[in-house]
This record gives sequence, C-alpha cells and structure tokens, in this order.
Amino acid sequence: MVKFLTKQVHLPYVGPVGLWVLLFVFIPMGVAVYLSFVQAGPYGRIIHEFTLDNYRALFTRGRLMILARSLEYAVVTNIVCLLVGYPLGYWIVRHGGRFKLLLLGLMIVPSWISQLLRLYALRRLAGDPGIINSILLGLGVISSPVKMLFNPTAVVFGLIYTWLPFMMLPIYASLEGLDESLLEASVDLGATPFRRFFTVTLPLTKGGVFAGTILCLIPAFGDWLSPLILGGDRVLMAGSLVRLYFIRVGNFPLGAAVAVILTAAVLLMIYIFIKLGGEEAVERLV
Amino acid sequence: MEDRQSIPCVELRNVVKRFPGVIAVDHVDLEIEQGKIFTLLGPSGCGKTTALRLVAGLETLDEGDILIDGKVMNDIPPHRRNCSTVFQSLALFPHMTVEGNIAYGLERRKTPKNEIRKGVGEMLELVGLAVMEKRRPSQLSGGQRQRVAVARSLVLKPRVLLLDEPLAALDRKLRKEMQVELKRIQGEVGITFLYVTHDQKEALAISDTIAVMRAGKLEQAGAPDEIYNTPRTKFIADFMGASNILSGKAIATGDGKLQLETDSGLKVIALHNEDKGSNEITGISVHPELIELLPSDAGLEEENRFRGRITEMIYQGDFIETKISLSQTGELLTAHFPSRLELVTRLSVGEEVLVHWSPKSSNILLAQNSYLREEKSLY
Amino acid sequence: MKSGKIADIIQRLGVFLVYIVLWMPIVILVIMSFSNHAIGLRWQGFTLQWYVQVFNTPKAMEALKNSLFVSSIATVISTIGGTLAAYGLYKYKFRGRGALRMSVLLPITIPYVVTAATLLIFFTQVFRIPLGYISIIIAHITFSAPLAVFIVLGRMARVDWTLEEASADLGADKLTTWRKVIVPVLLPAIMISAALIFPWSFNDFTITYFVAGVGTMTLPIYIFSLMQYSRTPVVINAISSVFVILPIIGLLLVTFLQRREAT
Repeated sequence: MVKFLTKQVHLPYVGPVGLWVLLFVFIPMGVAVYLSFVQAGPYGRIIHEFTLDNYRALFTRGRLMILARSLEYAVVTNIVCLLVGYPLGYWIVRHGGRFKLLLLGLMIVPSWISQLLRLYALRRLAGDPGIINSILLGLGVISSPVKMLFNPTAVVFGLIYTWLPFMMLPIYASLEGLDESLLEASVDLGATPFRRFFTVTLPLTKGGVFAGTILCLIPAFGDWLSPLILGGDRVLMAGSLVRLYFIRVGNFPLGAAVAVILTAAVLLMIYIFIKLGGEEAVERLV
Repeated sequence: MEDRQSIPCVELRNVVKRFPGVIAVDHVDLEIEQGKIFTLLGPSGCGKTTALRLVAGLETLDEGDILIDGKVMNDIPPHRRNCSTVFQSLALFPHMTVEGNIAYGLERRKTPKNEIRKGVGEMLELVGLAVMEKRRPSQLSGGQRQRVAVARSLVLKPRVLLLDEPLAALDRKLRKEMQVELKRIQGEVGITFLYVTHDQKEALAISDTIAVMRAGKLEQAGAPDEIYNTPRTKFIADFMGASNILSGKAIATGDGKLQLETDSGLKVIALHNEDKGSNEITGISVHPELIELLPSDAGLEEENRFRGRITEMIYQGDFIETKISLSQTGELLTAHFPSRLELVTRLSVGEEVLVHWSPKSSNILLAQNSYLREEKSLY
Repeated sequence: MKSGKIADIIQRLGVFLVYIVLWMPIVILVIMSFSNHAIGLRWQGFTLQWYVQVFNTPKAMEALKNSLFVSSIATVISTIGGTLAAYGLYKYKFRGRGALRMSVLLPITIPYVVTAATLLIFFTQVFRIPLGYISIIIAHITFSAPLAVFIVLGRMARVDWTLEEASADLGADKLTTWRKVIVPVLLPAIMISAALIFPWSFNDFTITYFVAGVGTMTLPIYIFSLMQYSRTPVVINAISSVFVILPIIGLLLVTFLQRREAT
C-alpha cells in the first residue's frame, strides 16, 4: 500500500486542490440535489422525505416566467456585449498602438471594482433622486423626474454594464493572437475587408467569442444584484429566486431546486457551446 | 595509484533501456577510459542521449549495470553519482547571476563560503569569463552561456562530465571555436568527458575515442582515425561521409588478398583480414583522396583499375572534387585529386580517365552484428 | 482618403464613448465623495469629512479589517494550492487528469449563486461549519484557486524544465529545487494570480453574502447594509473611492509584473 502511494508522485501536488474540489464543489452539489427532493419543514427545518413538491412549485406559470425571462435577459446581455466588445477589441488590436495596454487596463479595472458599487453608482446616476435627473431638472429640460430605474431595461443595462469586460477580454486575447500574415494573405488573394472579416477573422476568433460568451452569459443568467439594485426587486431573475428562498425565506429545499434547475440549464448551454465552438473554446479557457 | 588508472572511469555492461514501443539502448557494452574525451556519435534516435542520461541517473535502466569508477550506480539518484551534466538547452538558472549559477552545486554541498568563492573564481578563469560573474544568462552571448554551463558542472569536480549535444544551438564558426575551447578545458582539468553529438566532424575534432551508435546498438568504437579511415559497416562509412561505398560479396581469397564482386559487377581487390569471416562482408568503401589518377595509356591488368568518364569537377583549393562515371557499370565514384598535379590540370569534364587505388585502400565493410560478436573493446 | 478619415474618427469616437459610459458612474461617485453636500447632488465645496467619518466609524473599520484578513488568507492559500495543482497537472500524467482539469473549472463556470448556495447548504446541513470567517474564506478559496491554477499552468508551458533536472544534477533535493529554482521561475505568474485574486476577494459581495452568516461583516456587506438602511450616501461614496483606487494600484502592479515576465 505504501509502495502504491509513493508511486503516486502527483498526489502531493494535485491532492489539495482535488480534495478541495471534491469537498466543496461536488459534495455540496450532491447535497443540493438531494435537498431539492425533500420537504421543507417549518422554521427552516428539513423533513427528510422524498417529494416532488419543490419542482412542482417551480413549474408554475409565474416561476417559469421568471426563469425564462432570466434566460432572455442573459441572452440580450450577451448579444449586446458581443456587439460592443468585439468591435472594441478589434479596434484596440489594430489601432491601439502605444495605448493598447492602457485601454486594456481601463477595461479590466472596472471588473475589479465590486459589482455592488458599480451598480450603486448607476443607481445614483439614473435614480430618482439621481444625478441625471438633477441636471435635467436644473436645466429645465424636464418638469418632473424621469423614472429610469425599476424596469427590465435598467436591469439589463446593469447586466451589460457589469459583464462587458468579461466578454471583451477573451475576444481581445484571441484577436491579439491572430497572425497578421493570414489577413494579408487573404487580401493578397483578392478579398474585400468585408469578406476578409467573415471568412478569416471571425472563424479564427471563434474560440474567443465562445469563451467570452461562457464568461458573460452564464454569470448574467444567475445574477441577482442587478435585479435587486436597479430593478428594486420588482424585476426578478433566477438568481433572485435563489436568494429569496435561501436567505430571506429560509426554504432550503425550494432554493436547492432552483439551483439544480439553473445548473442543469447552464451545463446544457455549455455543452451546446462546446459542440458549436469546438475544442478551441475549451483551450482558451483551460 | 596504478589501480585507479586502469579501472575504466565509466562502464556500461549489457545495458538495456526500453520505452513504450522501442528499445532505446539495446545491450550496449562499453568502457570509458579515465581522463579522455569519449564521444557517442550517431543520428537522432540512435540512443546516444538515452545512454548518457542512464549514466547521469536521469533515467533508470531495465537491464544491465552502469559503473562509475568500478562501483555500480544503478539505484543511486543523480545527485549522488559523481557525475555532472551539461544539458543541450544549457538549463542555466535565469534568475541567478553567472556567479550564482556556478556556485549552485557547491552551495548544495554546504561548502564554506570562502571556498565557494575561490572555486567560482578558478572556474571563471578556466573558461575565460573572468569579469562576467555578476551578469545574468540573458545578458550573455551563446558561447558565453555555454562556458557558464560547463563551469557550473566542472566546479564540482565530477569523475565524469556528461555533455549532451552542447554545441548544437551554436552557429558554425562559434561551434568550431567552442570545440577547441572544450578540448583545451578538458586537457587542463583532466576530467573524463562523455560527449554526445550527431555531428561527425565535431566528433572527429574533439574526441579521443568515438563510439558510433545506431538504433540502440553500438556499431563501432575506436580512435577517430580508425572510425574515419576504416569504418566497419556501410552505415558508419556513409555516416562519416565516405563517398564511395560499393556493396558486394567476397568471391575468392588467396595470396593475402580478397576478391570481391560488387552488386554491379565490378571486381575489386582488398587485403584479406583473417579475423573477418568472409560471409559477413557486405562491401567496401574507399576514401576519395585515396583514388589515384593514371595516364590513360596504362593498362588494366593491375588490380583495382577502372576506366571512367569525368562528369563533374569542383575546385576546392587544395584538391579538385571529381566525379567519375565508371564505364563498366555507370557507378559514380568521387575522387579528390591534388589540384597541382600536371596530369590533373589537363583534365576536363567529359574526358575518359583511368583511376586506381591500392588494395590496401579498400576498406572492408561488414554486416552490423558481426562486429559485436568479435570483441569487447577496452577503450 | 477622405471617407477613410471620417470612418476613423467615428470609430475613435465610438471607442471613447464606450469607455466614458463605463467609467462615468464610477468617476462621479468618487467626485461626489468629496462633495460638501450630504444628501443632495449639488456640488457645494470640497471636503474630506466623509472620509474622516468613515475612519471614525468603528463598524466600518471593523469591516475593513475583516475584509483584509479574509482576502489575505484566501489569496495566500489559493495561490499556493493553485500553483501546486498547476505543477502536478502539467508534469504528471495520471488517471483522472483531464477530469480534474475540468472539475477545477467548475466553480467559475456555474453561476455564482449556485456555488454560493450549495456552499451554504454544505456549511449548515452537512459539516456544521460556523458561518463566519471560516466559511467566507473557504468560499473565496473555492472561487479563486481555479484562477491561480490556470494562470500558473499557462506559465508552466513556457518554462524550460530541464532546469529542474539541472538542479537535481547539481545536487539539490526536491524541496531545495522548489525553493531555489521552481518558485523563482514561476514567480511572475504566482504574483499575477495573487494580484488578481486579492481584489476579487476583497470586492466580492454576492458570494460572501450567502455564507457570511449574521455576525461577520466584510466591507462589501457593510456597504450593502448602508445602502439598505442608511441615508448618508456620501459615506458610501467615500468607501467606494477606496475601492476604485485599490484596483488601479493593482493594475499598475500587474503591468509592471507583465513587463518583468516578458524578459
């Protein structure tokens, strides 16, 4: 036995992390799945009897709408981030010059600032009372404050605002790594800039796009801060439900059920992405 | 002590090393003499680097024994064998200065600080880098880095220094300089070098003994001039750049001479050697400089005389590299004729000539395995 | 070309616009934190009183202390564990290697809420770990170690590993080789990991919120409570600007290290 163990040279290195992942990722996941199938008792207690009640409660119209809307918002967020992030990254790579690193940094730093603060800043800007309203009122442009918050648009804007850097960075990395000579070759062979983009650039940066999507869509899907701060809890997303059941109501089994559904949806999405994006997407992340 | 000198510094006894799907070192026997430069020469994949790593202890062998100074080293880890390796990539620690690199091994041995300083100083002098001690590897040229790598290993005074194609990354001129340098350094410290290279010219320049390997097996070991002038197999002849290899079989012996018929039908004479079984002969090789030009009116009765037509003449300074197509078979021979000979100066392409070499110059080539059965060499 | 020039200007404008939108709210926040007006939004003079007030609020200082403590520990453990794991994953081929690689990725590919919620379940139902420093640190490590693994892994591929053999050849045992060769060579990647993990951990709210329990307050949680119940937004502004300055310092650090790594 000792001989076997000593032959496992890799254990002391990957052991700690491996054990950690087992203990704090897989087991909790398993427990969550288990909990989703048991009864919630009074005062936050748990009755260990099998039931499908939790899932039944979630498959009501109201709850399903919330989940569906979460997906919708996340997809919209992703698309907008892509439409903004890709050209941005493209421009920086090609025209950034000396400022490349600076521009990159200016994109990264906001992602280091707490999402809480960034959304709070947005609320101070757009809220009522808020800075924009003050200015507009002061200038006499409007007679009463504009209600910009507490609607889905504000929430989605908050999502875009939060997750844009995460979409842009992998795309930038993949654009940066693009071999100039490939582009030159295509021009040499008679391609217009348009064709060049669609036939050479885009396919080659597919991996970056998929990595960016995974880093943007999935967190956006489970986000609950933006709905809370910019939506005033009038707009609910999947993550909000999780928070609701776990923290405010204390109904762990129900919350676990939401978590399970969320995870299943996300794993399905990742699976689809990898099939579409191929090995490169995985490479970029791993 | 008398005894110390006669024990080979390094010995490989019937060593075998296997990797999945291939036998890298296939029953190799060799002995390396104290204080000499011993070179393992061969094409890539022949097992020479693996053999070196086995001696270093960086690989474990499957069969056989490796001895250093007469002591078996099979299970002893690298840092406790008394040998040191200069890696192909040099592996200089990028975050340490030249001084730090050279001192590393001494520090691991808990050598007192002043001794370390002395040792490092001596080494820097020896390899000619006296003022560079505070530089980092990234600030040095290729040749300088080379010297640091050698110094780092030598300062530990190993019994044998192992060098794995150390000059492979250098350009031609630098490589030649470093070859001379290495030989000088070795001469000064007197430590045994085990050198690995695929460059035959390098091996010839630097070695006291060359061992040619192919596909995991040892094909021939001997002094450089032996390997060059009398390669034992077709592979070695070809590898060393011998241009004239004629395949064939022995058909008759007599009078101290051996008659061969080549595959193409030429009859060639060589000196008969009793040790070599005639059924293992696979051909002969002749060095270009040993082919002589005869006046065309000389007869064909003597041995090893052939008519041919000149197809190419390339002036090389001291000699003219001449390609001759033999009339009898169309085979191409390459000859190096001295350029100042009157007979030679009158030659031109397309002319018919008569060439000849003495039977002594016919080098007999054997099949690969025959050599191994013959002798266990002490080199 | 005329049209080319116009297109170029429009592009530059677009880029500029994006960055303005991205930074404007933050910049305004920082500016407002110096404003002399407590609640309203008009500029009434420069003042540092809010910063002073923050420093004099014991709860805020306590929260700051907690955040520093938690983030430091999480960063150190994540970086060490991540480096070891990266080494093991790169150098050794073993059964389950691919699976481990994928699993390490898991915490950051699933929505944060899910991981946070499952950890909460784990702490309360399974292992009875008290919700406080320990649970927060554990949660943070779970999210940061993967980052460290992949940053160091990326660097591992660009190192000449005969350095290890050379070190062994020159007489060093494994521990010494780690100390004197491997760590120095991997240092840029290790430092970058730490430089990315610390701010992330310091700023984290969504996960900490789930596992912090009632008693423990990190700075983000403190800010959140202020947002919910307090009426002096300017104090929040003051705290916020600290949060903005720190990452900028972090960015400078990373840029400096990047240049180091390039040599």
